[in-house]
Amino acid sequence: MMSTSFQFNDISWEVKRFGATAWLVEPRNCKEILKNIHQLTNYLEQSSSNVIIDIIPAYNSIAIFLDKSSLSLIDVISDIQKKEVFNISESPNTHIVKVCYELGLDWNVVTTHIGISKEAVIELHLQQKYEIAMMGFLPGFVFLEGMDARILVPRKENPRIAIPTGAVGIGGTQTGFYSLESPGGWQIIGRTPDKYFDVHNNPPTYLQAGDAIVFERISEDEFHLLEK
Amino acid sequence: MGQLTVLEGGLFTTVQDAGRFGFRKYGVPISGAMDELSYKNANELVQNPRGNPVLECTLIGGSYRFNSPACIAITGGNMEPEINEISVNQDETIFVKKGDVLTLKSASRGCRTYIGISGKWNLKPILGSFSTNVQSKFGGIDGRTLQAGDVLQWQEASIKPSFNFLPKDQISYYSSKITIELEEGPEFDWIDKELKEKLFNSSFLLGSKSNRMAIRLESDIPVNAPIEQMKSAPVMPGIVQLPPNGKPIILMKDAQTVGGYPRIGIISDYYLSVLAQIPPNGIVRFKKRDA
Repeated sequence: MMSTSFQFNDISWEVKRFGATAWLVEPRNCKEILKNIHQLTNYLEQSSSNVIIDIIPAYNSIAIFLDKSSLSLIDVISDIQKKEVFNISESPNTHIVKVCYELGLDWNVVTTHIGISKEAVIELHLQQKYEIAMMGFLPGFVFLEGMDARILVPRKENPRIAIPTGAVGIGGTQTGFYSLESPGGWQIIGRTPDKYFDVHNNPPTYLQAGDAIVFERISEDEFHLLEK
Repeated sequence: MGQLTVLEGGLFTTVQDAGRFGFRKYGVPISGAMDELSYKNANELVQNPRGNPVLECTLIGGSYRFNSPACIAITGGNMEPEINEISVNQDETIFVKKGDVLTLKSASRGCRTYIGISGKWNLKPILGSFSTNVQSKFGGIDGRTLQAGDVLQWQEASIKPSFNFLPKDQISYYSSKITIELEEGPEFDWIDKELKEKLFNSSFLLGSKSNRMAIRLESDIPVNAPIEQMKSAPVMPGIVQLPPNGKPIILMKDAQTVGGYPRIGIISDYYLSVLAQIPPNGIVRFKKRDA
């Protein structure tokens, strides 16, 4: 009988089949789920295993995609654990992301829904230190964890077809930013002039899941100076 | 240096290869040819290495003038290919002369047709792949579909390919009606017994909003899809999502990397290739895949 779990960080990780060559792993009975997910992702990426072709860390699980020739993720992981020991970074990088809130597109919806002024929403949005929970659904979209529950606004019922590069949005309990122009359903409250994603670089971004993000307010003039 | 000029780009023609791997954690879809079998055949017939790019035409193929002799192969859906208005065979090597015009019309069978050209294409890979991601505007030719006036160049192979053809038993027959094997997805048990029965006993119509990101199925049967919310979780081509409107979405090659709809099923790479050839309004049914 094939084992369906393994141990990492003193946590048991359940392994589920995810199609023919991919696997979903989920931590069991664990408090800091995101932190452990990022550490396991980091660990697997540092390994010299060449059968792992893609990893998607998400909120409650990680998808691990193996080369078509590999049959069992459990075997791949136990192999790595037997041979290699890595240091896992405990202090992730912090990035300061400049935001011009004057370029928000949905301030009417946001302030009407929350019932406080634009300035009060900005203050609550600025005071948190966020964690990059994951990236995706599309290239360069950055999901942040840690938003103040007082500025919770539902996503749009009809998503916008095109959201400009650098848009900073809030949706449900989350905030985040769109590094590339894309469709999307979040309420847009600002824009950053900095480019966080470029497919001509490899890797396309220096941001990593698990890193910390702090927002810094800039004026519209500063935005236009920094843009480009 | 071999060269062609696009006279008409067709409905949605893009450069595709085996896909872009290793960047899904940044939200980069894998992309790549929708019908992997026809893609592979197109490259093999012109004796290109695996992973070489091809042109993927959708529903209407377009028209291409060769400015140099070339060795090409056409595979996949039948777009009634012609060279200088004379019909030519698919699924075999074709030697075109300088000045020849290749035309691919509307697909009479299937949905996607592949053009393989012998040689090393003169394109810049983006994150290790030539595949075009139209949604995010990168890869292939400027991240977009081919347009009239575009020029494609390639370094000819040092050894000229010999004539080659696909054996009859390897040529796919494209129907507009298929039954696809569905494996249970992570949230399969979120749907009740009644809905499971409907899923396996209904005919779905391939919706016209389907594209390289997803095939959207339509159905007359009212379903009460689970409304339970889930946090964004990993997805991939082959995942079948069930949004609250009850209309299944099958994720295809340009699919997003994470999603928030219940993942009720998974279909295999083989069936993804088959699905890529189902035209709009084609009929899709599901059958349970034995574990």
